[in-house]
Amino acid sequence: MAGKSGRTIAHTQNKSLLKRLMCWESMLVILFIIVNIYCSSLSSTYQINNVLREMPKYLTEVFLLLPMAYILVMGDIDISVGSIVCLSATVACILGNKGLPFGLVLLVGLLTGALCGLINGIIVTKFTELPPMIVTLGTQILFRGIAEIALGSGGSISLEHAEGFRMLAGRVGRIPYILFLVLILAVIYIIILSKTTFGRKLYAIGSNKLAAYYAGVKVQKIRLIVFTLTGLMAGLSALFLTALQYGVNTTTASGFEMNAISMAVFGGISTAGGKGRLQGGVIAAFIIISLRVGLGQINLNPQVILIILGALLILAVMAPNIVEQFKLMKKRSSVK
Amino acid sequence: MKKRIFSVLLCMAMMASLLVGCGSSNDGGDDAKSEDGGSDSGKKVYAMVAKQAGNPFMEKMAEGFTEVVEAAGGEAIIKYPEEGKADHQITAIQSLISQGVDSISVAANDENALQPALEDAMAEGIKVNCLDSKVNADSRQLFVNQAGVDEIGQALMDAVLDISGGEGQWAILSATSQATNQNAWIDSMKEIMEGDEYSKLELVEVAYGDDEPQKSTDQTQALLSKYPDLKVICAPTTVGIMAAGKVLQDEGSATKLTGLGLPSEMAAYIGDGDDSSCPYMFLWNPIDLGRLGAYSAIALVNGDIEGAEGETFDAGDMENSPYTITDAGDGGTEVILGQPFKFDPSNIDEWKEVY
Repeated sequence: MAGKSGRTIAHTQNKSLLKRLMCWESMLVILFIIVNIYCSSLSSTYQINNVLREMPKYLTEVFLLLPMAYILVMGDIDISVGSIVCLSATVACILGNKGLPFGLVLLVGLLTGALCGLINGIIVTKFTELPPMIVTLGTQILFRGIAEIALGSGGSISLEHAEGFRMLAGRVGRIPYILFLVLILAVIYIIILSKTTFGRKLYAIGSNKLAAYYAGVKVQKIRLIVFTLTGLMAGLSALFLTALQYGVNTTTASGFEMNAISMAVFGGISTAGGKGRLQGGVIAAFIIISLRVGLGQINLNPQVILIILGALLILAVMAPNIVEQFKLMKKRSSVK
Repeated sequence: MKKRIFSVLLCMAMMASLLVGCGSSNDGGDDAKSEDGGSDSGKKVYAMVAKQAGNPFMEKMAEGFTEVVEAAGGEAIIKYPEEGKADHQITAIQSLISQGVDSISVAANDENALQPALEDAMAEGIKVNCLDSKVNADSRQLFVNQAGVDEIGQALMDAVLDISGGEGQWAILSATSQATNQNAWIDSMKEIMEGDEYSKLELVEVAYGDDEPQKSTDQTQALLSKYPDLKVICAPTTVGIMAAGKVLQDEGSATKLTGLGLPSEMAAYIGDGDDSSCPYMFLWNPIDLGRLGAYSAIALVNGDIEGAEGETFDAGDMENSPYTITDAGDGGTEVILGQPFKFDPSNIDEWKEVY
């Protein structure tokens, strides 16, 4: 779009092929290929049908990555998404067990998520001096608290009529529905972020909120939309998660928020806002999924897997900094 | 334009790697799978999914499980979930299905959440049983129960009879008034108490400490002041027994204590003398539980049993071998390990290190 107006912005400048090859996303693609080859060399059971079968559980986290990338690009953060998933799943299960039609259950599940997101959005936009980290920390506890009350003393509800949800967990051939949905949504989210004015406004907000405001960007309105959207996606994640475990319990989806954030950061999206592309986040998500599946199949101690993922994340965040410092050093020496 | 071509190339590279990376091993993989039961290494693979890592009870259970499987010439996989949550057990089970194991024994963190994963496993021909804490009847072939309700009721009742000297007042300190297992045990004890030999015992009160240390302490003190002649308190909950043990011992009370408790928490209160509040108590033996889990998994894989009521299977040198499968009362079947394990001054030092 920007190109058509005749302006050139750094983002759309033509780069040499070499520079393009050096970008973070291509590094991630190469890493993805290496991880897959490595995993299939580790375990003879790392086959495409097994990976596809194990994937759905992990893909429920990718639903959260997509809007989380928007939030991070805006320089905000939302750590309540895991609790929203739990609450939406609880509401969906309770209504499902009441015998409501499945379509309605899905709708209410999604709306519950959206409502929670809206609450987050209203608080962070009406009280702009409150840091979103603290606000969503509060709602994280609040939403899960409500879910725990609704779940009752047993702390768990199981579906009595699982047929509808069973359908949701279905697959075409070997490919689960959820994978199609994740890929389609990922493409839509990427296009919106990188090709539309809405996406550009997100970057503007993340780079400098005040400047964006004076430039006519409706900062608070956009933040409200994105926070609500995040809630909606958490509702979607909740429906698929429910389908994968025929129910919900008090620990459902705890830690999802951090997994989504780490996928985004691994993909090159800065938590300081204004930087990074969602493409990277999506590829990073698939790298993490491949690693978890692959290392899980050789029955590596789960704590070791966590250490590997943690180390990878630190390295990924450090890499651009190291490159930057290297460039800076070069510049200095050339000035001399 | 250049950029678009580049993106397409990247996408193609990703797809290709998925297909090549996973696909190339496909041939080898299929072979491995078809040889699974036979010539590959000739070993059957028995997997156990623990509740969580770093739980000594689970580790002891895994120890017993591994021992039996290896003695039978099989390979044992102990899978600890990342966290002690049903979510993470699902991925652990999915991973085991991929590996084509012969059986999965799971100590479930949630009764229902594992159903889709375990159904997948059974659809692939994998035998599924659960131990320690069960999954619902649809997701298992057999539940290896640590101790039946009646066995626990009987053991506790006999302990009360023995410690009180055959007569006098006694009280129960339970958890919450709705706890299903607690109420089942208490009902069982009341039923057993109708027998002649228990006729001189008088159950004065069932107190509820809600499994909170402070409330259990308060309830114990209230019992002591209300019933000065109280001979025995029976606390079939680990929190309650510990709180009561401390109160009785600190006050040097003549009232004695028994129930279900963790050895590591109760070691300080178990002893024969007047200065110890608890002569002995019960819980189950995690190692034997793991061993029975393994024996039943092996029997399932060998086709000796299908998990139906009335079937029996051999469990090596275990105390109650051969074991008979009974109705679990939840629509599924179970096998009961046996008597609860007794912890007294002679063995408490050894077990307090264990769990």
